[in-house]
Amino acid sequence: MSELSRLAGRAAGMLRERAVAGLRDSVHSVRAALAWAWARRPPWRRVTALAFVAAVAWAGAWSVLAQARLASRLPSPLDWAAASALLERDARPGDAAALSPAWAERAREALPASVPLVAQARLAAEALPGVRRVWLVSIPSAPGFRWEAEADLSERAARADPPSRVGALEIARFDLASPTLPIAFLPDRLARGAVTLGAADCEAVGPGRFRCGAAARVERTVREIGGAARPCLSITSAAPLDLPLVVTFPPSRIGRTLDGHAGAAGAGAVAAGTAAPVRVAVLLDGEEIGSAELSAAGWSPFRIDTSRSAGQVRAIALVVTSPARLALCLDALVLP
Amino acid sequence: MTLAGAIERGRALADRVASGVRPAAISWAALTFVVLLALGGGPGVSRDEAAVLAASDPALAIGGEGPAPAPPLAPALSAATRVLLAPAGVPSLRGARAATALVGAILSAAMVALAWELGPATALLAPALFWAAPRHLHAGLVAGPDLLLAALALGLALAWRRAFSEAEPRRRVRAALFTGALLGAALAARADGWVLGLALALEAGLSRALRLPTPADAARPRATRTALVALAVAGPLLLVAAWPALLSSPAARAAALGLPSRGAAAFALGGAASSPLLSAAFPLAIAGLTVPFALLLVLAAGLVHAAVRLGRALSGRAPREEARPVLLLLLLALTPLAAAAAGIAPRVGGVRPFLHAMPFLAILAARALVHAARMAWPSRAAPLAASLALLVLWPALRTSAHFHPTGRAAWNELAGGAAGAASMGLPRQEGGEAAARLLEVVAERARGGARVYWPTSSPAAVRTLARDGRLRADLATAAAPEEADLAIVTLDGAGRDGEYRAWSAFRTARPVAGVYVDEVPLGFVYAAPGAWR
Repeated sequence: MSELSRLAGRAAGMLRERAVAGLRDSVHSVRAALAWAWARRPPWRRVTALAFVAAVAWAGAWSVLAQARLASRLPSPLDWAAASALLERDARPGDAAALSPAWAERAREALPASVPLVAQARLAAEALPGVRRVWLVSIPSAPGFRWEAEADLSERAARADPPSRVGALEIARFDLASPTLPIAFLPDRLARGAVTLGAADCEAVGPGRFRCGAAARVERTVREIGGAARPCLSITSAAPLDLPLVVTFPPSRIGRTLDGHAGAAGAGAVAAGTAAPVRVAVLLDGEEIGSAELSAAGWSPFRIDTSRSAGQVRAIALVVTSPARLALCLDALVLP
Repeated sequence: MTLAGAIERGRALADRVASGVRPAAISWAALTFVVLLALGGGPGVSRDEAAVLAASDPALAIGGEGPAPAPPLAPALSAATRVLLAPAGVPSLRGARAATALVGAILSAAMVALAWELGPATALLAPALFWAAPRHLHAGLVAGPDLLLAALALGLALAWRRAFSEAEPRRRVRAALFTGALLGAALAARADGWVLGLALALEAGLSRALRLPTPADAARPRATRTALVALAVAGPLLLVAAWPALLSSPAARAAALGLPSRGAAAFALGGAASSPLLSAAFPLAIAGLTVPFALLLVLAAGLVHAAVRLGRALSGRAPREEARPVLLLLLLALTPLAAAAAGIAPRVGGVRPFLHAMPFLAILAARALVHAARMAWPSRAAPLAASLALLVLWPALRTSAHFHPTGRAAWNELAGGAAGAASMGLPRQEGGEAAARLLEVVAERARGGARVYWPTSSPAAVRTLARDGRLRADLATAAAPEEADLAIVTLDGAGRDGEYRAWSAFRTARPVAGVYVDEVPLGFVYAAPGAWR
């Protein structure tokens, strides 16, 4: 037994020695090969040229592949048709669709007309009046895609189901935790309202459009404020509004607050000098209950407390004055 | 004809083309002219091009008012080709754009001539590298001063070289005067043309300071002084001769001065200008995001290669005669980039502020590519260079074909194409030129006599399209969306207020037609109820 273990030990020792010797030989051979290769290395200019040739070949091949892959990363007409069918089936009143990325506006053409599109790119701070649920239509594989819209919605809404994948499109439904459900959106009530400038009545020149001589115009429209579309009352004056411009809306039930925004309309408004400060006062049946001094640069919010008259049906009027000519976009929501 | 026969004939033709600078230059010029002329009818009319067309044709000017004062050379050339080609039945827009095709042909020939001393392969490859980029090709398809300035820059480089290399003093003086005249033409093409004069003066000053010999080394005691005096005298004289209004009109003088344009980076980069990294050196950012990636790599390598060669020549590790031609090419490539970064170039989009640097970059790039092939595999240098050229040119040409005729909407693979660029907030096009792509569907579907509101297109552009027959004759123009039946809007970063007002007037935000590239909308048509069939 001991003889056997001695023989086994010797055999193991011999094997180890051979393995070490083999390894040593291998290392030696590799070192010799490397030394040989180093001694015969091409000049650095050739190495640089070879590296450049390889880089150009790689860049060309990568470009071809990137171009070929792009089409599969973007939605096809079939994808849009499927998304439209899905929304047609599942959307209901109070739903809206948002786009991510915001440039994917083929949705305006492709999605059903019954689902309005949210025009803003960032949704965290948007009131989204009247919207209970938002369908986020996104293209996650689009180059430069960011999850901002989804993050914004996740802050204020619960995702009902896992998102549906429709080709390159992904559709997720978000149920807003506290939707803004206004009693009235005042610009929409202008058609049945009245406008005066000082003591003079302004002429109605169309549904929701008034002209106060050559001095001012008031209309229900959509304008660009800070790069986003805003439905609002557009108030344009060729000269400073020395006299108060009073926009009176038909009687409506009053809630706890009246929330609104004002901003200079049009992309070049600040440069054109039409972004002057404005004063907006709110009257209920002719009695001023609050006012706000607003900078028209940007989309400035204001809030008037109307809780004293909450529940009553009263005529609301907005009174606008400004020390400069105006191209103002003004909205106001009567909130419960 | 058999395949072998065709190959043989092709080789014979290639040998003939490459047999000398003249056949090579003529071949490239002819090819460029034919391609640019053939593709010239495609692009729409941007606001910048409309200004050039209105200056070239009083019938297009707004309400009888003259166009704003601007350098007159590009409008004059457009007017000349339009008038010359009109008897042949060429439509006015194509006629006006034929001037650019002609300038493009001259540019190709000048590139070949300038690059020929670097080798026939370099000379033949350089124009291909220039034209393969979609925005460079687009500049050759529309009327405007940018390509003209690029061609004049090449002409200046050729004439400047002759002003030093000619053996006879009289010929040197003649070449110097020609250089001055070309500088005058550059000033009459674009207000920042003086940057080219600055590059030449820098080259003369540096060559003198570094005591660089001319390639054909000989005593040229007064060559530098003569050339600089010719630049300083002949240039302004020709400018005043081409633009007499400079003597009487303060507005023309202000336009000729080309005051630094603040916000050039914001104009070129759109919403992405808020990124300090991109705006810091916006010409590099724009080139880096618009030139197809493989081509961009070769252009950058060309610059580095030239700088290394210059360093070697200056340090005595290469013949010192090599330094001056490389210095000239480097300065003519880098000075326009620096000028654009400094806000001296006009506020135009894409690579247009520094397009006149790109032919020089292309020449340097072609040289680097050919040199690398020769160094990497000396025995197979020609096939390797051809393969590399194919790998560089193929994706670039594919991009050009993909974006045509809206070449100014092209962004490269690094930007993620048009979609990635839109995600970054980069401009989608320039000046409403995509409106033309909607005219076919408008012609087909618009109600007879419909009034069209064009919030983003220049009135001169609309008149041009109407006169060219691309806009249906019975369609009228409306000044406001409330008076319109249709609205044709383009999305080019210039604000969307007009589009939103059309939503309100037509009571819909749903377009009836759109034009897209890589799913990114470039333009929409909105219609009032009943106006769309």
